[in-house]
Amino acid sequence: MTSNVAFFAEFAAGSPARSALELAAGAAELASQSGGSAIGLAYGAGAAEGAAALGASGAARVIVLGDENRPAITYAAAATAAVRDAVALAVLAPATPNGRDLAAALVGSLNLPAFGPVRAARVSAGILETEQATLQGRVITTARPADGAPEPSVVLVLANTFTPIEGGSGSAEVTHAPAAEDSPFGLATIAESHEAEAKVVNLEEATVIVAGGRGVGGEEGFGPLRDLAAELGGAVGASRAAADAGWIPYQLQIGQTGKVVKPSLYIAAGISGAIQHRVGMQSAEHVIAINRDADAPIGEFADLFVVGDLFQIVPALTEEIRRRKGA
Amino acid sequence: MKIVVCIKQVPATGADKRYTDDLRLDRSSVEAIINPLDEYAIEQALRLVDSGAVETLTYLSMGPEQAAEALRRALAMGGDDAVLVTDPSLSGADAWATARVLAAALDRLTPDVALMGMASDDARGSLVPGAVAAMRRLPLLSYGAELALVDGTARVRRLSATGFDWITAPLPVVASVTDQVGEPRYASLKGIMAAKRKPFETWSLADVGLSASDLSGATLTVVTDARAPEGKPPTERIEDLPAPEAAARIADWLAVRKLM
Repeated sequence: MTSNVAFFAEFAAGSPARSALELAAGAAELASQSGGSAIGLAYGAGAAEGAAALGASGAARVIVLGDENRPAITYAAAATAAVRDAVALAVLAPATPNGRDLAAALVGSLNLPAFGPVRAARVSAGILETEQATLQGRVITTARPADGAPEPSVVLVLANTFTPIEGGSGSAEVTHAPAAEDSPFGLATIAESHEAEAKVVNLEEATVIVAGGRGVGGEEGFGPLRDLAAELGGAVGASRAAADAGWIPYQLQIGQTGKVVKPSLYIAAGISGAIQHRVGMQSAEHVIAINRDADAPIGEFADLFVVGDLFQIVPALTEEIRRRKGA
Repeated sequence: MKIVVCIKQVPATGADKRYTDDLRLDRSSVEAIINPLDEYAIEQALRLVDSGAVETLTYLSMGPEQAAEALRRALAMGGDDAVLVTDPSLSGADAWATARVLAAALDRLTPDVALMGMASDDARGSLVPGAVAAMRRLPLLSYGAELALVDGTARVRRLSATGFDWITAPLPVVASVTDQVGEPRYASLKGIMAAKRKPFETWSLADVGLSASDLSGATLTVVTDARAPEGKPPTERIEDLPAPEAAARIADWLAVRKLM
């Protein structure tokens, strides 16, 4: 019986990505519903060493696909071989470029059904069920594999869909992926690496995001947003307009062609709220918009819409929060 | 050097879209356009043609007969010819079935580079490029902010966690590009006229060596429900308040929700 739930666990510089911990929790939850085990598919620098520790996050077993700093897609052949043996009902992949590449390789190599990016998943009476926001968030669809579809289902999962298990213990059984056949995916290599001047945070891991758009007016306009983000323990993001203008690195762009985020609080300052931006943040739990234009489209889907000058309101809010924390 | 750009016709961004009674996206009632992110793939391909790196540019689409219009629009921007794979059994195709059909058509076209946009507006899984690469057993170079062709290899500039990488693989490859490649050009009047005379072929499923039974009813997934999102309270507004008062109101709002 195919009841296990596998998940991709990306490692970089010796540590698991937050997505690995979230998906470990998700796989453990689904596996408890299906009566199977959570199986990690770990790859990237530090995966071999960190694999066993995923046991504390929910994994019963971890298969190490590879342990080097190379393009994620080069682990596709090892992933395919591991998934073939995993007797899994579903494979969870983060809805990031690397996660999507590996998911796509599984779909194409093994002819598997694909879902997502999903905002919820469960196993009900042995059948996988997923929930996805479509049509710019105006419709929520529920989907499942067609009768007789091959297993496992490949599921792209949005960040913050599952919550990492805190304070868990135990260590996962670690095995190494069977030697993969020569795969064309393995031919991709990193020819050059360029580091950004400033360190950039991974927005997918932030639970509070303060994002700026065209209304921020320039690089220095992000200063007040950074102060507010620091006060709230969050990170700064941006719309495509701000990234295209060169005010902020593309790693911090949120939207259809940037990061897709699901923080518990999203503050949009000077962002009009085009559909392309909305796609990247529509799953945020609470949205505050600050905009001078009382008719900005973001007003339609914010929970709280503050009409006014962000250069006055944002510093005032930072000050107010600081004052209350000190009180 | 031969490049094939795969494009998808989608309902216009922001159009009033809905689901039909059989839980498929209703494509009959809204304006159809080239998937906006595919236009960046077209632009990238045309730049490679302009620079002399590519000799032949073909467009490929899978879709209903009306998708011919999207291919004609692409041809108006530039390029040589176009192929539409259309078959009644492809209605409602999922990522897997779409990849299967495109891979079969690409087996016939045998380009050095099969190029796609990074995602489609209506599905947003970004799975088709990688699935096509797996089916054709070719390297994948995805999410390129730029695609370059050098000495029998293709390379893409791709954002990394901390900067960017150039990732390279020997030709032939499947590649996808982002909206950072540069703004798509407009079709000129001359281009629109010329597009009408460019070679255009329509292929059936049989023409690419597949039958409807190969495609499991065009999908391995079923949508069982489509509903409005959970009722969310109407937007609260704060207007016409001096900044300190507005800030206090926002802080109250955050405190009630334990977000501070």
